[in-house]
Amino acid sequence: MQLFKYPHLVQNEILNHTEFSDLFMLSFVSNKMKKLIKSSSQMQRFRSVNTIRYNHRSARTYVCIPFHYFHDNILKIVKRDDSKNDYFQLNVSGKIVDFSISYKHKKYFPVAFHQPDGFKSLIESIHNYLLDFFGDSVEFYWEAHNYKKPIPQLENLTALLHLRHGLTESDILDMTRFENFISSSPVLKCIDSDILNVPAPMSPESKFYQAEYIETWQPEPTLPAILRYFQGRQAFLKWWKCDTQNVIEFVNKWKSGEAFHKLEHLKIKNYENEFPQNEILDAIGAQHIDHAKKPPTHILPKIYFDIAFQKEAHTDPITSYTYVVRRTDNRVASVSIDGGIFSFGVWDKTEEEFLRIVE
Amino acid sequence: MSSTEQGTSSAAPAEPTTAPESAAAPEVPESFYYVHGKDKVVHKVSAGALQHSALIHGMISNLGYTEEQAKANPFPFENIDGDILQMVVDWCNQHKGKPTPPEDTNLPKQKEKLFDLVLAVNYLEIKELLTYCCKQVAMMVKGKSPEEIREIWMIPTDAEDEAAEKEAKKRAGKEAAGETAAAAGDAK
Repeated sequence: MQLFKYPHLVQNEILNHTEFSDLFMLSFVSNKMKKLIKSSSQMQRFRSVNTIRYNHRSARTYVCIPFHYFHDNILKIVKRDDSKNDYFQLNVSGKIVDFSISYKHKKYFPVAFHQPDGFKSLIESIHNYLLDFFGDSVEFYWEAHNYKKPIPQLENLTALLHLRHGLTESDILDMTRFENFISSSPVLKCIDSDILNVPAPMSPESKFYQAEYIETWQPEPTLPAILRYFQGRQAFLKWWKCDTQNVIEFVNKWKSGEAFHKLEHLKIKNYENEFPQNEILDAIGAQHIDHAKKPPTHILPKIYFDIAFQKEAHTDPITSYTYVVRRTDNRVASVSIDGGIFSFGVWDKTEEEFLRIVE
Repeated sequence: MSSTEQGTSSAAPAEPTTAPESAAAPEVPESFYYVHGKDKVVHKVSAGALQHSALIHGMISNLGYTEEQAKANPFPFENIDGDILQMVVDWCNQHKGKPTPPEDTNLPKQKEKLFDLVLAVNYLEIKELLTYCCKQVAMMVKGKSPEEIREIWMIPTDAEDEAAEKEAKKRAGKEAAGETAAAAGDAK
């Protein structure tokens, strides 16, 4: 059976039914084959996917493509196991790499092996190979699930941190290691973490606060002090206990133009208590829209959205009669306080423009 | 619903089975056509089954053959092996008037047979069967290393591709030189 003897349409149809992990292996068969995949409608299939993720856990890294409800693994990267001998070698962007084929959860996928000190160079080779293969048609994400190894600084790579840490009392965040992870990694696009046992404050200059999006569950509002030092665009903070003063301080700082210049959306969910609505609205000097009118709804696309496991691609809508105005540029932010939920949505509009869209 | 006859297209095919009569109104009897492959074995197939093939459907849709005319003029598919055409006819009969299932497990497992079936199905433009076949071909390389894939799909190495390309260039050069010489000869 000679694949190249088939008409082009048939070759396309075959490749269309070939799994992504097999296509990855297929791309190593010959230059002509690689060219065929690149020129075929396969690339349309990849373009529709648009994203490749490196899911990095402590002992393994999966290269996968996110689909609705699952991540399709196309490659696994692990440390070489010398007890195995079923390796085959492939040239990955000029580096000879040991591979084998693994079968897990009813799926075959290739595994690339690195020597104990060869992780970084292997990742670079694989990333270069994927960059060459896909060009700039897809976005690359690296999601770290721990803070042992910094996220590599690679071309066109967006960094994410997904940390479920501190589920037991003894599981205390290693601050030095964590700060080192954050400072050595690229600026993070998204941090999604449950940080229960943070023993000390982070440096206000920490790149942690520069993440574009932060979602945390934390028992102490000031550990970490996101509401004080956040420099990103969107945040969702889940607190165990309320800190009203912190919220007031945050809004007043935003109003003065002293901080939070890039902020677009903030939501705080307080689990134990409700926010004292009147106290906060008075303290921040909130203004009110005429109740006979209908306030506009603030909603934005989320900074980061994983098609596989997240349902909502947009921030929670805020429709509120109360708002504040930033003194430096007259920009408006809608403020909503509803029980234990505080929402803050910044409009790209001056107060005059904002009031014009109030129906 | 079909019958296969050993021999040539002139052999008399079996009579078509008649459809059960409806109590309300008599049904229009189904029309049949005849096809043969490289081996000249004639297959009698209903128009309903042949609808799967866009190529044949296009050929017969305006013919208006009588049974005798159809019998006397089987469609020749000399580029398709007899056993492959038999598979295609069987598949069309099995799926006549039915929605096609998502999988088909009755496809040949042997590589060469499947290869020929794909070519035949592509030629006859049977979309659903082509999809099944291509899925089956894709399945062959599931979980295989590049070397194993090369063997299964007989993909030449880079060196072989380069050599073939050189050879093709050389041949093209020679042919071009031959044409130039011939043209010069004609001019004289």
